[in-house]
Formats: sequence, C-alpha cells, structure tokens
Amino acid sequence: MVVGEVAESLDLLVIGGGPGGYAAALHGARLGRTVTLIEKEHLGGVCLNVGCIPSKALLEVADAAALPGRVAGWGVAATTSIDMAQVQSHLQQIVSDLTGGVAQLLSQAGVQLISGTARFSRPNRVAVEHGDSLSHFEFADVIVATGSRPIDLPDLPVDGQRVVGSTELLFSSKLPENLVLVGGGYIGVELATAFAKLGSHVTIVEAEKQLLTGFDKRVAGLVARGLEKLGVALLLNHRAQKLESEGLLVAGPKGSVALPADKICVVVGRRPNSDTVGLREAGVLINSQGLVDVDAQRRAADHIFVIGDLTEGPALAHKATAEAEVAAEVACGGAEVFDPTVIPMIVFSDPQVLSVGVDPSQAKKQGLESFRFPFAASGRARTMGDSEGFVTVVADDAGTVVGVHAVGSHVAELAGEAVLAIEMAAAVEDLARTIHAHPTLGESIMEAALGLAGRPVHVSRVSKNEKS
Amino acid sequence: MFQFLLPDIGEGLEEAEIVEWLVEVGDVVVRDQPLVEVLTDKASSELPSPVAGRVAVLGGVEGQRILVGQLLIEIDDGVTVKQDFEERETSAKAPAETPAATPPSTLGSPPPFAAAAPSSSVSPGTRPKAAPATRKFARDLGVDLTQVPGSGPGGRILLEDVQSFSTGNQGGAARSLDPGLGVMPAGRHPLRGVRGAIARNMAQSWSEIPHIHSLDEIDASVLLGFCQESKASSMPLTPLGLTIAALARALRRFPMVNGHINSGEDTQEVVIPDHVNIGVAVATETGLVVPVIKNADHLNVAEICQVIADLAQRGRSGSLSVADLSGGTFTVTNYGSLGGRWALPIIPPGQSAIWGMGRIADRPLVVDGQVVARPALPIVMGADHRLVDGDLLEAFRHEVLGYLADPQKLLAGDIF
Ligand SMILES: Cc1cc2nc3c(=O)[nH]c(=O)nc-3n(C[C@H](O)[C@H](O)[C@H](O)COP(=O)(O)OP(=O)(O)OC[C@H]3O[C@@H](n4cnc5c(N)ncnc54)[C@H](O)[C@@H]3O)c2cc1C
Repeated sequence: MVVGEVAESLDLLVIGGGPGGYAAALHGARLGRTVTLIEKEHLGGVCLNVGCIPSKALLEVADAAALPGRVAGWGVAATTSIDMAQVQSHLQQIVSDLTGGVAQLLSQAGVQLISGTARFSRPNRVAVEHGDSLSHFEFADVIVATGSRPIDLPDLPVDGQRVVGSTELLFSSKLPENLVLVGGGYIGVELATAFAKLGSHVTIVEAEKQLLTGFDKRVAGLVARGLEKLGVALLLNHRAQKLESEGLLVAGPKGSVALPADKICVVVGRRPNSDTVGLREAGVLINSQGLVDVDAQRRAADHIFVIGDLTEGPALAHKATAEAEVAAEVACGGAEVFDPTVIPMIVFSDPQVLSVGVDPSQAKKQGLESFRFPFAASGRARTMGDSEGFVTVVADDAGTVVGVHAVGSHVAELAGEAVLAIEMAAAVEDLARTIHAHPTLGESIMEAALGLAGRPVHVSRVSKNEKS
Repeated sequence: MFQFLLPDIGEGLEEAEIVEWLVEVGDVVVRDQPLVEVLTDKASSELPSPVAGRVAVLGGVEGQRILVGQLLIEIDDGVTVKQDFEERETSAKAPAETPAATPPSTLGSPPPFAAAAPSSSVSPGTRPKAAPATRKFARDLGVDLTQVPGSGPGGRILLEDVQSFSTGNQGGAARSLDPGLGVMPAGRHPLRGVRGAIARNMAQSWSEIPHIHSLDEIDASVLLGFCQESKASSMPLTPLGLTIAALARALRRFPMVNGHINSGEDTQEVVIPDHVNIGVAVATETGLVVPVIKNADHLNVAEICQVIADLAQRGRSGSLSVADLSGGTFTVTNYGSLGGRWALPIIPPGQSAIWGMGRIADRPLVVDGQVVARPALPIVMGADHRLVDGDLLEAFRHEVLGYLADPQKLLAGDIF
C-alpha cells in the first residue's frame, strides 16, 4: 500500500455505465442502497453511444435514403440526397437525448456519479484514475459491468482514418465510396446494409462459409441474398490480409485479390473488458476467452457481481439489463437467479432476422415439428410492399412453443410475442386461439401456429412430414 | 419386396395391436419413416420403416392384434433381400435423441477473421415448463420445479401446482381433472388400444385372483413433518417416496408378498422373484399406466424420490418406454392424489399384492385419550388369498406402518 493512500468507504459500487451498469445502479438505489457509479467515458455505454442506438438510427436514415427504390411503381416519385454532416448531428441528437435521460434517471434515484477509470487493487478496493488524480474506494458490494471492446487484427491495425472500427464508421462525416467490412457477423451485416443503402460500394469479407455464423443456414442465406440485392459484394470463405497500395489484400480459396477500399471497417468480434479492470486481482476466475466465471446469481466472488458482455451468453444489451436486476437484487439480499428460457436475437438487416429459441434446423435434428408461414400470404406484408420471408414456429412433442424464427421486413418487432410465448411455456393452441389484429405482421405467428395445429388458414396444407 | 415382420419390441412380449396405420398402400416411404403405431400390454410405439420403397401390403387392420414374427407390412423396395432377425430388431428401436449442441459464445477470441455470432445460451424444452413468475414463486418457496407435476396444457406447471406441491400435501387438493374424463360419443366402439389392454388385464385379475383387503388409517404428522424438513435439501422427500422405501424393505422381509402364482393350462407354480420392482399407478391422458421403480430395495429414499420424479416427468411427456412399464412385482396406487379416501384396488396380473394410499387430510384421531385433529393417511392393502393369508397380510402391513410412523428408520436402515 502506498503511504497516505486513504480509501473512502462506499456502500454499493457499480463500475461501468452501460445498459448493464446503469440499470444495476437504478435497481440498487430502488432497493435502498447508497449507490456510486464509476464511468470512464459516457453514460449509456457502448449500446447507447456507439452501438445499438446510433446503428439503428443510421439504418433508419438509410431506409429513408433508399425510399425511391422501395416505392417505385407505387405512383410516388421521389428523389433523395444525403447530407452526412446533418445525418451525424441527427444521430448525435438521438444519442444525447437518450444518454441525457439516463443521467437524469440516475440523479433522480440519488446515484452518485464518479468520472474515471476504475481498477481493482484488492478484492474489496478499487483505485480510480481521473486525469492525474488517483482516488481509492472500498465498498460493501460491487457490480462490474465494464462491457467489451473490438477485437483487432494484428496485420490490419485500426488507424482511425482508413482502417476503422464500427464507432468511427457510424460517425463518419463523409460517405465512403468503397467500403470493405471485415467480418460478416451481425454488426458487419447491419453496417453493410446501412452503407449500401446510403450509396457506398460495400464488400463484406468473411472467413466462414456463411454470414451470421451461429444463425440458421436458411436464414443466413436469405440475408445474403438481401445484401446482394443491395449491391453488396460477399467474399465468403475469404480472409483480409493487409493493406497494400492497390487496396486491401484478401485471400480466398482461389488466390488473393486486392480490393479497392477508401474505408476498411474491422468488425471481427468483441473482447470482454475483464483484463482492463483488474478483475483477476480481485480473485475472480476468468476463462481463456476473457469471460468471467459467475454463478446463476451473477456472483463472481464474495460481494463481487459481474454482468453484461463480461459474462457467458450472447453479448446483447437486453441480456446485460436483465442480469443487472438479478445482480442488484442478490447484492441487496434477494434470492434472484438469472434464469431465462430464451434470449432473443435480432439482426437489423434487410430482410431483418428474428431468432428465438430452437431454430428450424435444430428442430429437424431433434425430430420436433415446425411450421413455416410465408409472408407472401400475409396481407400486411403485401401492403407494406415487402412480402419476402417467413415466420417459423417450432413446438415440442407436448405442443409447447419452443422456437420462433422469422426473416422479413420489420420482424424485429415480433420479438415480444415470440419470447413471451416461450417464457410462458405457451401451447401452440394458445397462439392459434389468440385473436391477432388484422392486418398486422403478428398474425403470421398465429398463422404458423394454426399450421402446426393442423388447420392452416392462409396457406394450403402441406403434407405431414414437411411442415417446416 | 421387403417383408417387415412384427419385431420383438422388448421384454418378451408376444403380440401387439395395430392402433393406427401412418401409411397407406401405394405410399412412398423413406427409411425410418414411422409406419404404424402399435400397442403392447405395456406401451404404444411407432415402428419406423427399415427400408425405403412403396407400401404394397398392410398386414392387418386397425384394432387387430398380431403376433411377433407375423407380417406387419410389405414394402416394395426394388430388391428381394430377406432381412435377418438381428437387423429387424435394431431397426425397430427408436432413433436416439441428439442433444442440442451448445452454441458458441459471441465473445472471446474467435479465430482472428471470424465474425461475432451471438447465440442464445439456453435451450428450451430441457427445463421445467413454467412461466417466469411461477419459476420465481417456486424459488421463493424453495420448491424444485423438476419435482412438480404440471397440470397445465403440455404439462405446464401452474402457480397452483407449485402452491399445492409446497404445502407438502400433494393429496391435499384434488388434482384438477382432465376435461375429457368420462367423455365418449354415443355409439358402439371397438374395445381396443389402451382401454382394451386395461379391460383384458382387469378381467383376468378379477376372475383369477381371490382378493382380500385390509384397511387402516394412520397418524401422518411425523411423516409430513419429515417431508417438510427435507424441503430445503436437494432432493425433497414425499410421502409416496417414503412409502415405497418402506414397502421395498417389507417386501424383502416377506418375499411371498413380492411373488405371485402362475397358473396356466398345465402349470401351477409359485414364482418368487429375486428383485423388488415397485410399480406406481398414474393416470395419464390416454389411461392408466404403471411405470416401475426397478430394484427399489437397492435404492435409498432420496434415490427413490428421484426415480419417481423422473418417471412422472416422462409419463407426462409421453416418453415412457416398454422397459419403464415392465417387470413390476408389486404395485402402489395413490388415488389420494385424486382426492379419494378409501378404495379396494385390483391386483395386477402377475403380482399378488397392491398398496393403496388415500388422501392425507385432517381427521379426528385419538391421541393420549383426547380426540384431536391430525393429518390422517388412509391405507388399503389388497392381496391374493391363494398365496397370502391374513396373518402374513397383517404382518406385512404392520411392518410398513412401523416405518411410516418413524421414517428416520428408513434413512438409517440398511440398503440391501
Ligand atoms: C455497432 C454495435 C451495434 C450493436 N447493436 C446492438 C443491438 O442492436 N442490440 C443489442 O442488444 N446489442 C447491440 N450491441 C451490443 C451492445 O452494445 C452490448 O451488448 C451492450 O452495450 C453491453 O452492455 P454492458 O453494460 O455490458 O457494457 P457496455 O455497454 O460496453 O458498457 C460498459 C461501460 O463501462 C465503461 N468502462 C469500461 N471499463 C471501465 C473502467 N475500468 N472503469 C470505469 N468504466 C469503465 C465503458 O466506458 C462503458 O461505458 C451492439 C454493439 C455494437 C458495437
């Protein structure tokens, strides 16, 4: 211990102000604790500042820009032009409105905010660095939610100019002419969708043989087709090597090519910020992937709780928020556990992807029944001018809904019903017998359930063995 | 032309009933496609096609019973190969279940060029079916949901199920009844399927076995208190589980109760098995089934409770196998779970005794000369008087009730 190092005592400490951390702080305050939140950058974390929110805002802008193509033939003539500077301020405005809201909620809840970078010096003590000053705090309980950061490629270091990460790309003030996205996960796919609609020439370089690894093959195939329709070039089974004078060198099964690229965005995955906060020093177990070992109550050690992108499971904002409540309750003496049946996953591509629970290929392997309702038979999809895609509902032997998967325009908004059905252990009959408003996309879930129940309405009966 | 003969689907069964054809003559079938649902005395199962081809002949009509080795179906597979018995046997087995692979995590160090792929980490279908609020309620009460029978559609566990399970008194509230109970359209219906099998067995027992019964009602406060105390443990004990443990010990002591009389055309013998397999009668949507706790005398109380929970779970999901339902040497029937107090149960064929449990409820009992309300457990024991006389019946009953009055003895007691 450094001489003169005096630590201030805190009650409940939260490290990180993202969807995990700020939610944990709010719950802790509600439960009567004196809460302190330490954030090194901006309240709202990755999600609000540089992730979920600005990326979805940009996709909305891109949809508006692509409107003329969408409404061609509707009797509406439109032209669009893009002012990237204004797009940027529009995005910034949304972000600052939302993060401002978070700040207000925290202050109303009486949460004390400390600006700085925290690091464990002992299991019950952190040192916080802010500029040149260093302060020390001890706490009764701590909830750690320091999130994740992009993974770098050693041969393609991010310089912030030509080679960038998702953040710099989202907030670029100039539209790239030739944009190469290295990585075909959901972030790469969403960025490709946005920039292709805004007018860039986009290429995705992906090392695997399909986009969106981990998702159902058929689903990934439809997303790939959607991207190709937008003019996105897909280099699957290819690896980005390094930057050369002619462009980005990319190696594939048939040799190497140099892709012209004024912007290269590396989105090959994210790494948990478990190393930068000294969690190991706090006596916590961290696996080889950097994920923190926690129990069902999100406890990593006595009085230390860890949530969000730092723990096993899909790195998504809603998972972090759900874990936040569990950790806060337990830290305050409650008996909660993190116990979801499913965690929904969405890709805001075009068509969008909704993936909840057992997917159709898993269903086939496990011998479960599924029924696919095509949007071509949906009145709502037709009126929206986009009838590609489908909703598939999967049920187990007892007729309980165990999966809902959809591809198509706006299917993200079907997530609520899908997750609720599975969490409630709804029967196929529950979905089939619930009156859904007409005309809405939600009806398609009911139609798929009706199909599973053996009485499809807006599609003709398929034979018993090929419901999916 | 491939001739598919009715395979021996286990445990020496000799015949099966054709419940439903899943294919018609002329249908093209693929390998492993289910052809027919058959029912044996023990269970119903779908038989998959061992070959691909076109269905040429169906070996019987629905409701007909055919013998092992008889022609079930003839399939034109383009070749004329006679399959040997070995092959037929393996082809009749249900395909093994493939466990869902754990999806990879998003984060961590994927191969340098791989993309982030989030995956939902939980696989539904492998956990108790209950809504989030019900799961929370169960946690608060310290109830293990895997032990709770669900009365909702598809076996969904409802708040009420958790509530009645947690009061320790599964017999306290009558189980909600299947709305289809007792309903059948007017007309004449062939006696077949599960109903036909039950009818045959019961008629055989009733006409062959001269039944005697002995009835008693015991103070269950110690038993219930014992179950209550175990609530916090990883394997909560139930009155049914403790009763079976007690019965297993008593059956070891009195092997004749565990035996039966085998009387055929030219055999008259007493069969005494070297194992104690206790069946537990449970009502399911399709009728009464009796899954069997094998070698119950070698299991400790917690293990017995675990096996009961497993069997109940599989009974609800309809996944009991022929093996699960075969080989019982003694049967327990818990009509108390339906609210009943007294009943005179029929002994299953091939056994010589049965134990019935009524509903535990507060009733006036005399304790130390005072009439007081106490939780009382009504029990009935039925036995085959050809083999079991009154003195044996009473000694057996006394032995079991001794354990139930002091369940601690079941924990201390040796497992054989
Ligand atoms: C481009 C992009 C798009 C995305 N889109 C979606 C989407 O549509 N839906 C979705 O669900 N998820 C999306 N995500 C993922 C989502 O952003 C994360 O899962 C989520 O933000 C994780 O929340 P968290 O609280 O764990 O961490 P974060 O949001 O990463 O927050 C961690 C916070 O901790 C702070 N911090 C870190 N270290 C320290 C320290 N030592 N001391 C003090 N503070 C520290 C950081 O500054 C940060 O504010 C997206 C991500 C990206 C990059």
